[in-house]
Amino acid sequence: MILAHGKLYENKEQGAIIASLKAAICETLNGPKLDTEEVILACDRLSKKAEGGAFDEIAKPLLEFAQVDYATYLDYCRMFSEKELRKKLDTELCGLSESETKISEHLFRERRPLGVLLHIAAGNVDALPAYSVIEGLLTGNINLLKLPSGDNGVSVRLLSELIAECPALKEYIYVFDVPSTEIETIKTLAGLSDGVVVWGGDAAVRAAHRFIEPNTKLIVWGHKLSFAYALPGCPDDMLCSLAADICKTNQLLCSSCQGIFVDTDDEEELRSFGERFFEILKKENQRYGKAPRGMRAKNTLKLYDDKLENRDTIFAGEGVSVVIRSDSELELSYLFRNVWIKALPHEKIISALKHQKGYLQSCALFIPDGDTKETVIESLKRTGLTRITGPSLSTMLFGEAHDGTFALREYSRIVDVYR
Amino acid sequence: MDTIKKLFRLKNPYDQERSEKLFPAAIKQNCIFHYEHNPAYRALLDGQGFSPYDKNAFDDLAKLPPLPTLYFKHHLLLSVPNRKLIVRATSSGTSGQNQSMVGLDFYSLRRAFDEVRRFFSYHKIWSLKPTRFVIFGYEHKFKNKKAVAQTAWGFTFTAPAVSKDYVLRYRNGDYIVDLDSIERKLIKYAKGKLPVRTLGFPAYTYFLLKQMKEHGVKVRLPKGSMMTLGGGWKQFYAERISKEDFYALAFEVLGIEQENIIEFFGAVEHPILWTQCKYHRFHVPNYARVIIRDVDDLLPLPNGQVGIINLLTPMCRATPLTSVMTDDLGILHENDCGCGIRSPYLEIIGRVGIEDIQTCAAGAENILEGKNDTRTRKTL
Repeated sequence: MILAHGKLYENKEQGAIIASLKAAICETLNGPKLDTEEVILACDRLSKKAEGGAFDEIAKPLLEFAQVDYATYLDYCRMFSEKELRKKLDTELCGLSESETKISEHLFRERRPLGVLLHIAAGNVDALPAYSVIEGLLTGNINLLKLPSGDNGVSVRLLSELIAECPALKEYIYVFDVPSTEIETIKTLAGLSDGVVVWGGDAAVRAAHRFIEPNTKLIVWGHKLSFAYALPGCPDDMLCSLAADICKTNQLLCSSCQGIFVDTDDEEELRSFGERFFEILKKENQRYGKAPRGMRAKNTLKLYDDKLENRDTIFAGEGVSVVIRSDSELELSYLFRNVWIKALPHEKIISALKHQKGYLQSCALFIPDGDTKETVIESLKRTGLTRITGPSLSTMLFGEAHDGTFALREYSRIVDVYR
Repeated sequence: MDTIKKLFRLKNPYDQERSEKLFPAAIKQNCIFHYEHNPAYRALLDGQGFSPYDKNAFDDLAKLPPLPTLYFKHHLLLSVPNRKLIVRATSSGTSGQNQSMVGLDFYSLRRAFDEVRRFFSYHKIWSLKPTRFVIFGYEHKFKNKKAVAQTAWGFTFTAPAVSKDYVLRYRNGDYIVDLDSIERKLIKYAKGKLPVRTLGFPAYTYFLLKQMKEHGVKVRLPKGSMMTLGGGWKQFYAERISKEDFYALAFEVLGIEQENIIEFFGAVEHPILWTQCKYHRFHVPNYARVIIRDVDDLLPLPNGQVGIINLLTPMCRATPLTSVMTDDLGILHENDCGCGIRSPYLEIIGRVGIEDIQTCAAGAENILEGKNDTRTRKTL
């Protein structure tokens, strides 16, 4: 399904639409500017409809699939309310005005959209492609969306509803159904764009680097790794919250804890910490119900193989495990409630983590207030990570930056005019 | 006295009563052979606190530590000198990595021939009628170490072969998939009188049937034709096609009746040619035993419950395949199948770790490989 000029088309029309796209874009740029106010109000109306249950019939099965409760869905809906969007614009655009503002005697400045954004989306379940487009609209961009393979139509539906609320948007939203293998078409779309927004893992990001011309801005929302940092003696109740977060997310999110670095160089201390966390993880696991059977089986086999290879100290049972490793490398866990524990004295934080660069995201900190805590926070900030949190590291707060930056800022440019 | 030989020479491949007595002793004989000839295996068993000389060591076969298939991907475990290996087999993975390495010597191959001969007699696969073979697999080259290529080639001796056609043809040092010429040949063969036997990866067979259906092909292969499927269990799950749909498609396109479709399974790490009964069930033969293990603690489960499939066989002397933990989930059913074979039958449910998973944790896509629909989720 293709969405262009506010209408739905069959996939076979795609070639013709893309062929006339450059002319259409120029015509739009020759017309009136997209009014941010209108976008905000259209989103607000749509969010109220969603809150009122208008999209329940499509939302509920998806929520069930992703194991997201309805309250969280309502929270998501509220992210698009007028109030929240205004807050987002204020925060992310740092007060940059959409009209010329005097900076000094001869210098005037205003914020403009990048122009045309190509969104290469991943993930269809949480309507993320549509979200990406809405961020593009809020900054005034024309948006070309490449749907992820196996898209379930939710994004097209949402964007169509948005156009219905605000017909001016119909020349600002194009949705294409191009398979990722069709590099030439994606290249054509990228060639028409000022910025390419890529959501996805290393493979998607690498591919984007290959086909994007040097005069096109690349904005990457890549996959990340997160972890916890703890003192050996940190209290059980804090660790319970961490264990709960691990069970809730199955460690699948960018912000999920893959493992715990412990501020120690004592093997025995590390071991007893691991044993203690295993008991806590088992308890939380019982509260949340087991992870999927196939995944548990896969991990059980991996851990059994590790055991035969005499790798690591392993605490495993009831479908969860804690593995004590002797290195200090930040790495992906086995996922699905399997946590590694590694020693990392706080003075070695930077040398152990620095090379992970762009993979670093969140660290949940388990250190009581005091000098050590501040030293650790400062070291963590210097490694390149972008979030330092409490025990529930996957809980996001409204107004948070995204992977160390603001999307709206990335989708805008500054124009200086001398008068 | 060679209990293994005795076990493999029982006339009926599903002789529950006799094999029940022989099997533990045969496993013991095989295990002790590896223990005494394979220092790595010996170290493994010692490490797990298992001694094959203990009086009660083989009372409960679940106590013998199984080796996971993953282990064979990292270690070449040999219990006979290299020069005695006749076959060096690798699993059918195409990437070149992550293939299991297993060797077979003369003794093991003799057992394989014993076993296959009995299976084929029981399931009436031997035929004296000149037959055309169509292999949905690799063209036979002696240097091809893939076990499936060897098995498929072996299969072409179940009847006098008039012709042998391969879907994966060897051209200029590489294998190419050539479905089109097979399609033309099958249409041609349908007009003749000689029975056709197909063998190979279910996935390729399925692709071809689908392609032929799209081309509107509807033929009847000559009487006595047979479709056999084997060479890996994985492909079926990837296609998500039910067996009933597959059988219906085979009948529609080639006119092959359901009872003339026979499925085999086996693996490099468990080289027993399990053969389906007329109701398409895999009964436990004399040569193997199944232990279904709990997905969390690997303890044995009672029949009827889902768990990880652990396969045992005393067949192989070159590599310790005595007890192997597969990557598959399955159920061992005890109820009467109705086909006449009394032993329980194994239902293979699918590979472990195949889920429709969304993730945005870096590197997780690679870990979760094997699933069909990679959905990637990004937190906002």
